[in-house]
Amino acid sequence: MVLKVFFPSCCSSAESGILIGRWISEQNSAVILAVVHFPFIPAQVKQYLSEVQQVTKIKVSVLGSWSNSKQEKEESLSEFLEDLGTIFSHEPWIQISKERDSKFWSCSTLQKQSNSPKEEEIILVYYDQRKVMLSHLHPPLDTTPSTDHKANDASKLAAMFDTVANSKILFMTDRYDDGPIKLTHWQSDGVEASIIVELMKQASVPACMLLTFLLSLTSAICKRRMLKFWPLPFLWSKLSTCEQLGHRLQHLQVISSNKKAQNQIQLMRKANIFVSLLIDVALGILLMSWLYRKNRIGHLADTLIPVADHVAKELQDLLQWLMGAPAGLKMNRALDQVLGRFFLYHIHLWISYIHLMSPFIEMILWYVGLSACLGLTVALCILSDIIALLTFHIYCFYVYGASVLSLLRLYCLKIYGLSSLWRLFRGKKWNVLRQRVDSCSYDLDQLFIGTLLFTILLFLLPTTALYYLVFTLLRLLVVVVQGLIHLLVDLIDSLPLYSIILRLCRSYRLAAGVKFRVLEQKHGKPLRLLMQINPLSYGSVVQTYRLPTYSCYPKDSWTSLCKKLFFGELIYPWKHKGEKQD
Amino acid sequence: MVCAQVETSPRRRWQKVLYERQPFPDNYVDQRFLEELRKNIHARQYQYWAVVFESGAVAQQLCSVCVFVVTWWYMDAGMLSPQRLFGAGLVSSLLGYILFNVIDAGVGRQESGRTWWADLKSTLVFIAFTYGFSPVLKTLTESISTDTIYAMSAFMLLGHLIFFDYGANAAIVSSTLSLNMAIFASVCLASRLPRSLHAFVMVTFAMQIFALWPMLQKKLKAQTPRCYVAVTMLFALAALVGLMTISSVGAVLFALLLLCISCLCPYCLIRLQLFKDNIHGPWDEAEIKEDLSRFLM
Repeated sequence: MVLKVFFPSCCSSAESGILIGRWISEQNSAVILAVVHFPFIPAQVKQYLSEVQQVTKIKVSVLGSWSNSKQEKEESLSEFLEDLGTIFSHEPWIQISKERDSKFWSCSTLQKQSNSPKEEEIILVYYDQRKVMLSHLHPPLDTTPSTDHKANDASKLAAMFDTVANSKILFMTDRYDDGPIKLTHWQSDGVEASIIVELMKQASVPACMLLTFLLSLTSAICKRRMLKFWPLPFLWSKLSTCEQLGHRLQHLQVISSNKKAQNQIQLMRKANIFVSLLIDVALGILLMSWLYRKNRIGHLADTLIPVADHVAKELQDLLQWLMGAPAGLKMNRALDQVLGRFFLYHIHLWISYIHLMSPFIEMILWYVGLSACLGLTVALCILSDIIALLTFHIYCFYVYGASVLSLLRLYCLKIYGLSSLWRLFRGKKWNVLRQRVDSCSYDLDQLFIGTLLFTILLFLLPTTALYYLVFTLLRLLVVVVQGLIHLLVDLIDSLPLYSIILRLCRSYRLAAGVKFRVLEQKHGKPLRLLMQINPLSYGSVVQTYRLPTYSCYPKDSWTSLCKKLFFGELIYPWKHKGEKQD
Repeated sequence: MVCAQVETSPRRRWQKVLYERQPFPDNYVDQRFLEELRKNIHARQYQYWAVVFESGAVAQQLCSVCVFVVTWWYMDAGMLSPQRLFGAGLVSSLLGYILFNVIDAGVGRQESGRTWWADLKSTLVFIAFTYGFSPVLKTLTESISTDTIYAMSAFMLLGHLIFFDYGANAAIVSSTLSLNMAIFASVCLASRLPRSLHAFVMVTFAMQIFALWPMLQKKLKAQTPRCYVAVTMLFALAALVGLMTISSVGAVLFALLLLCISCLCPYCLIRLQLFKDNIHGPWDEAEIKEDLSRFLM
């Protein structure tokens, strides 16, 4: 079996000493973590290693010797190094030596117990200790049986990555420490740290405490009994703003909780939520600053009323058109007139309601605009709610057309009614128990009433169907606009921005795997490979770290939507539908 | 070749079985094969006047449709006021109802288990619904062209005649569908009338003539065949006279049609029975003659 030696590239210029690291016997490989320089006292080294082992729970031991001979090869040194093997008994004892002139290193192993002289093949793998320590290896997402072999490889790699990542304590001592032993590793020239990060760490504790206190206060107010009475929860569940605010509150609770994140995923989740919140609020404040400059709110309020008037005018024209002979269709005139007048009156009511509101609209918009400082998503949700409120008449038409008007469900009942009356017309009926159409002998009065209704409904069908069609199309337009806004809010809510930025700037932090590059290869000398980290692709970054959102996507397909539309069942924007299905 | 083979081995008689190997070719047919041939075993001998009597049902229904159309014509032209038609309909319905109950001395009523109260309720439902919906009926087909309505009514009345239950046992017969088509036609025609009262009376009349009148006829036919013949003649005469006042050509054609159906068609049927040549034999499909009802329990 090939013996693999993972060697940190920062140690290649270290002075001679002994190699410490972890021996992974299942894989027949050695992960070298650091080099201990001469002079040292073996007992102290052993004690130090046992201390490290206690903290990190990793079996760190002396693996072999390292000689970096700048001058000519010294016979005595090599003998001394071999003798060290007897002091730190390790099996096998790895000896790596670097000569000054040649690029090739010599590497050999000593097997004391088995005296067989067979030469084991050795592969030297260089790795960047810093990157490997900081990176988080992602297991492959697709665990199909065909990639079983791959998964096995990934677990082998994960063991190596874990070894490096968990032995952080080993890298905390630099050369300026006055310890009994001197080590060489990636931080041996000085420990990396940032003043800003340390300051923020210090500041975050009181900030989090304050936030927690405020949050508990808010949730206590929200849970007051007074706000639990009947109409309010129903109203809130219909307003997307409230949902979004609740969602954000949950996010804040996650961030401000003083529990330490248990693993990498949770840590990333916290960071993602934090960054998404920050960006959301920043965009919101940007929007607010744009809105409140140059009296834009006033302009908006001034244009809103004419726009509403215009929409109402268009609707009136549409109704007038429908009350005539639209597209040459043969409509029932009486029903047509009744429906048209009813809807016209409704529009009239709505316009008067808007005009009644018009003096307050600017004020309302001004206060609503303030909510943008809570985040862009909240502002968008408010926009969606305002659209829903302003197009309430269209919703009403749609509901009337689909459900309320003549027989509680004008169109819906019609289709169902017509199909069952058609069966009655042919002298059949639907057998519920057997799920089939049976023949049936009806009474005379049943037949008479059934046929009378069938005739009437058949002749009125084109009229109601046309009204239903027109108002369903209008409703669909509103639903699509609202759906787009919700989609945008979802995008901001769920996009793992921190992970994406990390992938962009520090691509090695999110590793999908490794690749090896051959450095040198020569017969008789060990093969030298350079291990490089493969970054995770953007798609899988988003897939892995996607934040859960409160709104559900429509579960039913286009065909079922069309079926629903045909049978006149009410359709809602996506999120309400999702709730209903739960 | 076949003959030679048969002559060479005359010792074995041919058997009509497949499970034994026989010295005959596959397509061999024995002399005895046609012994089991039967002819016209299901053919019936009809009496001319019995057939004419039975064809009365068809003539009656034709006359019903004719009377309905004529009445509608009168209403549409304004020659018949709805009040008079309603009164006449009411009187004739009451008379018919009494006759219906008296003619078999109440046996049929006891068998069906319907009470007087149920009849009254049905009547009230008819009247109330028709009266309530008559304004709707009046404006129902305003925007549809009159020709379309006529075509639809003609189609529906034809369907009514086709699917009507004349007493034959056939798959096409469906009294429900037939009645529904008649009601549909009556609603279509009623929507062309000038006022909603006209529509109401028209639909009521349609119910009387298409739903109640055949029931009475059936009972008459079963109980007093002589009376039935007289009623049929009278009814046909009334229809003819009614049609005469509108169009004499139409009346002549209708009379010819009636004659054809009740005299010529039975004659043709009996004549054609002579040419019937229906053969039965062992090649027929198997007929299960045993009563299987005990297995169906």
